[in-house]
Amino acid sequence: MINAVKNFLGFDIKADKYKLSSDAQFGMISDAKKPDKWVFSTCGYCGVGCGLYIGVKDGKAVYTKGNPKHDVNMGTLCPKGLSEHQLINSKDRILHPMIKRGSEHVAVSWDSAYRKVSDTFKRIADEHGPKAVGVLSSGQLLTEEFYTLGKFVQLGLKTNNYDGNTTLCMASAVVGYKQSLGSDGPTNSYEDFEHANTIILVGANIADNHPILKLHIAKNKKVDRKIIVIDPRASKTSAMADTYIPIKPRTDLALYNGLAYIIFEQGWEDETYLTQNVNGLKEFRKHVQDYSPQEVSNITGIDVKVLYELARRYVTTENALTAWTMGVNQSFMGTDTVSAIINLHLITGKIGRQGSGPFSITGQCNAMGTRETGFTSSLPSYRNFGDKKAAQEYADIINVPVDIIPTERGYKYAEIIDAIDRGEIKALWIVATNPLVSFVDQAKLRKTLAKLDLLVVQDAFYSDTAQIADVIFAAATWGEKEGTYTNSERRVNRANKAVEPIEDTKSDFDIVTDFSRHFQGVHHQLFSGWTSPSDAYEEIKRSSKGQLCDQSGMNYEMMEDNGGVQWPCNDQFPQGSKRLYTPDIPFRTPDQRAKLIIADWVPMAEDLSAEFPVMLNTGRTVEQWHTRTKTRSIDILNDLAPEAWVEINPVDAEFLQVHSGDRLTLSSPRGEVPDVVVRVTQKMAPGQVFVPFHFNTQLVNQLTQASFCPKSGEPNYKQTAIQLHSEKVPSGIIMKEDVISGAIVHNKSTYEGVKIKETKMSTKV
Amino acid sequence: MQTPLESFIDHKAETGMQCGNYSIDLPELQDKEQYRFHFDATACVGCRCCEVACNEQNNNPADIKWRRVGEMEAGVFPNVLQMFNSMSCNHCVDPACLIGCPTESYIKIDETGIVVHDDDTCIGCQYCTWNCPYGVPTYHEERNIVTKCHMCHERLDVGESPACVQACPAGAIMIEAVNVDAWLAGDIDEQGNMPHLVDARVTNSTTRYTMSDAQRVEMENMQKADEHILKPFHAEIPLVFMTTLTQISLGAFIALFLGDLFSLFGLSEPSVMMAFLVMIPAALGLPLSALHLGRPILALTAMKNWKNSWLSREAIALGAFTGMMSINVLLYYLEVSQFLRIIFEVLTLGMGLFGIYAQAMIYRIKARPSWNRRTTNMKFFGVAYVGLLMMALASASAGINEAVSPLLSVALLSAMAQAFFSYEDFRTLENAKEDDYELGKTKRLYARFSKVHYLRKGSFVIGAIVLPLLVSVLFSAGLISSALLFLSAAVLLSFISELSDRYLFYVTSVPLSMAGGFFVGNQR
Repeated sequence: MINAVKNFLGFDIKADKYKLSSDAQFGMISDAKKPDKWVFSTCGYCGVGCGLYIGVKDGKAVYTKGNPKHDVNMGTLCPKGLSEHQLINSKDRILHPMIKRGSEHVAVSWDSAYRKVSDTFKRIADEHGPKAVGVLSSGQLLTEEFYTLGKFVQLGLKTNNYDGNTTLCMASAVVGYKQSLGSDGPTNSYEDFEHANTIILVGANIADNHPILKLHIAKNKKVDRKIIVIDPRASKTSAMADTYIPIKPRTDLALYNGLAYIIFEQGWEDETYLTQNVNGLKEFRKHVQDYSPQEVSNITGIDVKVLYELARRYVTTENALTAWTMGVNQSFMGTDTVSAIINLHLITGKIGRQGSGPFSITGQCNAMGTRETGFTSSLPSYRNFGDKKAAQEYADIINVPVDIIPTERGYKYAEIIDAIDRGEIKALWIVATNPLVSFVDQAKLRKTLAKLDLLVVQDAFYSDTAQIADVIFAAATWGEKEGTYTNSERRVNRANKAVEPIEDTKSDFDIVTDFSRHFQGVHHQLFSGWTSPSDAYEEIKRSSKGQLCDQSGMNYEMMEDNGGVQWPCNDQFPQGSKRLYTPDIPFRTPDQRAKLIIADWVPMAEDLSAEFPVMLNTGRTVEQWHTRTKTRSIDILNDLAPEAWVEINPVDAEFLQVHSGDRLTLSSPRGEVPDVVVRVTQKMAPGQVFVPFHFNTQLVNQLTQASFCPKSGEPNYKQTAIQLHSEKVPSGIIMKEDVISGAIVHNKSTYEGVKIKETKMSTKV
Repeated sequence: MQTPLESFIDHKAETGMQCGNYSIDLPELQDKEQYRFHFDATACVGCRCCEVACNEQNNNPADIKWRRVGEMEAGVFPNVLQMFNSMSCNHCVDPACLIGCPTESYIKIDETGIVVHDDDTCIGCQYCTWNCPYGVPTYHEERNIVTKCHMCHERLDVGESPACVQACPAGAIMIEAVNVDAWLAGDIDEQGNMPHLVDARVTNSTTRYTMSDAQRVEMENMQKADEHILKPFHAEIPLVFMTTLTQISLGAFIALFLGDLFSLFGLSEPSVMMAFLVMIPAALGLPLSALHLGRPILALTAMKNWKNSWLSREAIALGAFTGMMSINVLLYYLEVSQFLRIIFEVLTLGMGLFGIYAQAMIYRIKARPSWNRRTTNMKFFGVAYVGLLMMALASASAGINEAVSPLLSVALLSAMAQAFFSYEDFRTLENAKEDDYELGKTKRLYARFSKVHYLRKGSFVIGAIVLPLLVSVLFSAGLISSALLFLSAAVLLSFISELSDRYLFYVTSVPLSMAGGFFVGNQR
């Protein structure tokens, strides 16, 4: 009472809480948050992989500060990184293992949670075979944890129906790299942004999704520096472009084939490089004849003159770097589009040298780690399923009989969902991912998951998916556990534990190894003597020796000292390697030559129609992370983007009689999303809209279609034909004739023998 | 062992790296020079690192933003031009916050030119948050005071870069030295302006902007991302009452004074009760104003900056006015000579007039276009008619019937004047040429508060015009008790009318400010 009065009268201005004081490491900082210690670590959000220090005060994380000596971020962090310490004590954390009783989740002991799950897994394996258990993991764990989890799932649970949310994100880049270059593995370093004369950002909104990369672009002071942004949407990233080239949705494959056409037509290819390093030139040269500039112009909507100018710029510039992210990957043609990009670098020899190369930018903090070791799309360390020699090699390294090593990849993400739908998979274990926001065709997914006998969710946050779980494994999160993350440029970064896991939570490493003890002999066979993630790392190093992703020359201390180390790192490259496919690192095909991939552009199976005449593009915003499990309770981030919005061109807004701030309903054959706030902007072309996918409150993945890249299994998130309904014009947009131009060209090319045809898998709700 | 910071400084020395820096090579300030921000709009990608880094540095809660990022665009797809503005304090040569602060709680540091806020003496009156045309100072509810960007001067002092400068991955924010004379001699017009910011000359902002040629060409056409956001300003209820009540007291005092003056010509003298009555509204209203302060305990220090601040002048003048009115009560009570009393009343009246003038001048600020109009002054004085009506009621109640009709007539005339001022207020709002963006939003806010606006108009017509006319008739007809009843209603209704008008005055105020974000607006 007295305090209330004193406070009302204004006696206390809380000067102590807001004063600064000097910290030995970071200078003047907030006194109230001045840490007792700074713990070296790496950011756990995106694939950029920024080095940072976590400030710990009284056992709680209070600060995150960019590591000034780290080559990736040089002391900077994005808004999410700067506030990352806040996620550890989020109100959305799961604090105890839980079992669903009725409609409630009840806290239980770890032992009962493990027992319930292991009993059910064993029963299902007995009744339906081990492959009736499916597992979906993530790109969010530490590499050691992925390795441990993958090893347990594949060799312990003996199911290969195991995939990660990386299939929703980087799978097309993985398979594209594999089919073109013989192995997965992003080719470049961030410093190539500094050395390139021409930077082409295609389907990549780095200003929102990887803002720290701007640091490297800003360091590029070349007089002839040119940044070209190719994207259907004039995103924030287009603002940094010298040239912004709008492209019709999902036509970038045609563009890249068309550029190859022009390069051959003009005789601009690098014959020496091609002769020495590349296969398939003759077939490729013939193939691109279908992609004459005028036809490509019709498909892509890019002027013929611009195509020639782009090709000329690309070839005449000494070094050209193409960087892409989800705009390329998340497509029915994702894999082939990646290869089309690589094709262009191969025919011009712009690969494997400073400032040049086809460079995929990773979405998640450790999508790379799971690609290297995760046991989903390949055996550990980029060994291929079905390669008997590789299987034997790996079995010897880990000292197990070779017959327990799986010989083929199981179902991919979407196939697992379909198998559940068919009743083939009875139990699903989901680790650190939230399909009930992130996967396509949500209505169908929700129905499918309800068919499971058992849904186990292992997560640090009470996500939408955790809410329907039968059992929850309460996981520790970033800052509470240790291991390594590999970033987009193959840099293996060290993440240390700064604080103890909150309440009754455990690191994913501990959860998996403890859980494995509930299966007869499994722990002994797989994890004998393992006490910490470093035991897993030693095995990863041994397994990677001689492989492209060779980490045998690394150790944790070296990572801390150097701010991460880029693989391959071995006796030949003791300090790691800045890029792949230099003269010292041959392509990973049997004859060490890269392959030009014959890839065809195909139009959308579910194209715009009179009923659904608007193209929906989905993506992210800088303030939020994926399904918001980590960021929604961090006020400073969430306040800046508290709900989804729909970006719409003024022409369409006028037709619908809406203004910024009004509300629209979006519909597709699979459902509708009501009450989305309108943002009228010239960043969108007429007939196209953009909605961020983060929000379970306006769940845009209710609209997206179950169309997947046949090679990578990645969903075609970026293009969905939808309709918009406003209060004043409920019937929505009327189809414009010119929207379908380019189809004629396409019909020709499909008749002339396209091997793959997109099938329509959508279902009416 | 070297700290990471030290080793980084070495690293920087070796590589010449300037981006993402923890330490900067601060230029040595020469004579007539001060520090300033440089913002490079060609480099910024709108990632908001600076915003979050600032809050993390200063331990500020999520809703207190010293640095904000605004988004703008111009052109037609695909030739769309996006522009961002990251802005904290512009550390002006003539800071509006400093000039208006009643407690002299702003200091422009001599050596560096940085405008810092002295937390200890701040009383949380928030006048600076009204005055700054950039919306820089922010009221911090938890602390009961205003806070603002201080260019991390404590970091600068030891050679460290401000948090925002350090955080920017694009290197878009820098600290520079500027020669103030050269800047004001012309550079400011070339490089000091940014779309949707007030002309840099108004406060002589020091921030330098780098823009591309295309951005310069489109300066006039840049659209804010937050145009759709319509946020009513804080209603300031204590001030609604304080201003209205003091203005009523002035009107009532005028009636008292006129009564006293006319008594020289044979009318009966005002009573001590009346002298007491005229003081009541002001005596109630003035302490109310302290309630809107963050630190009422320090209310009296508001008088400190009488040389510069209209707020200090208002506090002094209205304090004196109320004090003098109470002395006047004593003069009536002690029955001192009427001559002396009239002399004293002239002085009191002067003080009251000046007080209300000062009160109006508080709102005549560039940063608030809807307030910064002559009609603000007119309407503040116009409220006096309520005081006249009140005194008519008092005369009638006290049986001094001969005063009622003259007072009613004067009140009616004054009410007509107030009606004209209100009409004029709307006319100038409709025809605004300057600041049409903010005034346009003010109009939209009037539409949003249309119910209050109807209340204002309805109660005015009935309470200030119809009822007083009716009362005149009733009074002439000798129907005293009905007249009293209706007169009471007239006083009450016109009081309500003026309160609702004052309420609208505050809530419809739209400050000049920067472009904001789509959801958060300009975060003020």
